[in-house]
Amino acid sequence: MPIVETENLTHIFPDGTIAIQDISLKINKGEFVVIAGANGSGKTVFARHLNGLLKPTKGSVLIDGKPITENIIEARRKVGLVFQNPDSQIVGQTVAEDVAFGPENLNLPANQVKAVVKESLEAVGLSRFSTRSPHTLSGGEKRKLAIAGILAMKPKVIIFDEPFTGLDYPGVVQVLKQIVKLHNMGHTILLITHELEKVLAHADRLVIMHKGKLVEDGKPEDVIYHSENYGVRMPLNDGQKVATLTWLK
Amino acid sequence: MAEITFFHYIHKDTVLHRMDGRLKLICLLLLSLSASFASKLEHYLVLLFVVIFALLIAKLPIKALLKDIKFFGIIILIVIVVDAFNIPGDPIPYFPVTSISTKGLITGLRFAGRLTIIILVCAVITGTTSLMTLRNVVEWFLRPIPFVPEVRIATMISLTFTLIPVIFDNLAEMMYAQKARCVELRKNPIERINFIVFPLLSQTLRKADEIVYAMEARCYSEVRTRAVFKTNKIDWLLLAICISVFLFVIL
Amino acid sequence: MSQNQVTQMPTDTTTANLNLRITVYVALFTALIIIGGYISVPLPLGPVPIVLADLFVMVTGLFLGFKWGVTSVALYLSLGALGLPVFASGTSGLAVLFGPTGGYLFGYLLLVASVGFIASKGKQSIIKNLTALVIGNMLLYAIGVPWLKAVMNLSWAGALAAGLTPFIPGIIIKITVAAALSRAFLPRFNDSASVK
Ligand SMILES: Nc1ncnc2c1ncn2[C@@H]1O[C@H](COP(=O)(O)OP(=O)(O)OP(=O)(O)O)[C@@H](O)[C@H]1O
Ligand SMILES: [Mg+2]
Repeated sequence: MPIVETENLTHIFPDGTIAIQDISLKINKGEFVVIAGANGSGKTVFARHLNGLLKPTKGSVLIDGKPITENIIEARRKVGLVFQNPDSQIVGQTVAEDVAFGPENLNLPANQVKAVVKESLEAVGLSRFSTRSPHTLSGGEKRKLAIAGILAMKPKVIIFDEPFTGLDYPGVVQVLKQIVKLHNMGHTILLITHELEKVLAHADRLVIMHKGKLVEDGKPEDVIYHSENYGVRMPLNDGQKVATLTWLK
Repeated sequence: MAEITFFHYIHKDTVLHRMDGRLKLICLLLLSLSASFASKLEHYLVLLFVVIFALLIAKLPIKALLKDIKFFGIIILIVIVVDAFNIPGDPIPYFPVTSISTKGLITGLRFAGRLTIIILVCAVITGTTSLMTLRNVVEWFLRPIPFVPEVRIATMISLTFTLIPVIFDNLAEMMYAQKARCVELRKNPIERINFIVFPLLSQTLRKADEIVYAMEARCYSEVRTRAVFKTNKIDWLLLAICISVFLFVIL
Repeated sequence: MSQNQVTQMPTDTTTANLNLRITVYVALFTALIIIGGYISVPLPLGPVPIVLADLFVMVTGLFLGFKWGVTSVALYLSLGALGLPVFASGTSGLAVLFGPTGGYLFGYLLLVASVGFIASKGKQSIIKNLTALVIGNMLLYAIGVPWLKAVMNLSWAGALAAGLTPFIPGIIIKITVAAALSRAFLPRFNDSASVK
């Protein structure tokens, strides 16, 4: 059974914009899926349906085979979403407090909250910043903080919406390392990006969206040659392998 | 611009920093009230002694405190002078300016003393209490009051202070970008304000929607883990001191 | 930036939890009022620069309406009373709240209440908003000036010279700006939509 499944997902905004249309997609446990597409192709809107932030105009989302509407809190716990802009995800005055936000919402006992915060900060290597103001962190560290905030809720699936925007080379490497590590630990990963050259080597699957529709879905080495039809740069040179598409050494 | 310190809190490990925030807030209230009710010289002396004692154990940098007081210094001076001239009474013996009355001068000095003590007490409390603690304390005190959504208010407090640096950074960037395009050449103040306020508002309102989503994504709920407070024996002792001072002043 | 662009701000009230949305907006406007106390714009006439805190109080009333506008300003005052440096130029505490300028701070409550009350009643119109803003400001100074007089032991002439006259150009400018803004942004919630 797929861990995340969408059936004919369509979202039309009140102003008439058709942001996504008839998207059917199955994601299996443990997969690493990259979703690519040009600006405005509907990637963010799609991601926000997967944990019920947006409600579909038509179609449905299933998590572990159950409709998301059945237990939305459970769905949000299972499917963590790291936002495109990490600033908008920060709600705490200190790093530790921000990570605690999720578990506190789940009303865990205070000592458990503390333990899970410690664990999550260790997982992303931010322990030494726990009393710092999140606002003073670097771009890469902010992204890691956002990841820790999601990890603290013990999700099974983690969606990264454009995790590399605005990061310099070391920043990208830091975050990418973290993502690969999470995948190796057994998390299902959905990564939204149009910078395929940074990450595609780690993916099992490449999905391409175009004008709100899902237009390609398959093994990266098959799909990648079509990417330029849809406004995503084809990163391979002649004879280059997909396995070389990573910024990790 | 984000460097402006919005929090006077200075992280240290002292008795006052570790003190239970709830008791600390009660002490703040007691001492402020005592200062307002103080009438005799002894009262002021005792209060001043307590405040200096607190300042010493809190190990707060004097510089930061002076900055606080500077602003009030001017007000205090004006009040002393105005009172001294305006309140009728006997002139001060052996003083050349006869229009200054002893009674007026004393009234002015009293006001100054009261204000100084309240400012210092406040500085000590905010300097030793993190915003997080303060928010938790507020939530705790509001809890027994019916029809007051204490968790919601606590969330508003945290959000306000999370948003300030973010908005400030935006604003700074925006203003620099406008300066780069010579906004100073515009003399019409309505235009100038519009150029600041209009984008500021539209950006922050947009941000609000993002924040709502981000909070929902992390299962925001008003039924949430409650803060745990730790009370030491020393905290009770400090409270006892404040209560005695208060009683001494009002009795 | 064209003004029409902003009016169509995406607010997807159908999907998101309205309560949380209101919570966030109240915090946001409180933050804006605090920040307004740190922004000063020079005036070509007169030595007193314009501080934007009261402009944001007006804007808060226009957008959040009576109930949530008052909540936002009350939050602002309470944070200051608790000793957080939120009042103009980073001051705080009961000493400010009950000091010479305290009347203006309490006046903010009246300002936001009257603006929120009048502006959120009936149909949106610029004349109505303008009336609301003028009445609100009159109330603000009707508390602020006598308070200043009482605390500082000033004469009426002195209180007016210190607490009203230098601000009049600023008041007029800010009312103009607030009224213009109320045309560009629609109010966020009317009181009937507000849920406890
Ligand atoms: N609240 C909204 N109201 C109306 N239209 C919207 C709203 N949010 C998004 N859209 C529209 O939906 C479409 C898809 O937007 P989305 O943000 O999902 O794109 P994206 O693929 O994430 O793009 P990007 O790479 O720029 O992040 C766009 O045409 C956008 O203008
Ligand atoms: Mg996007």
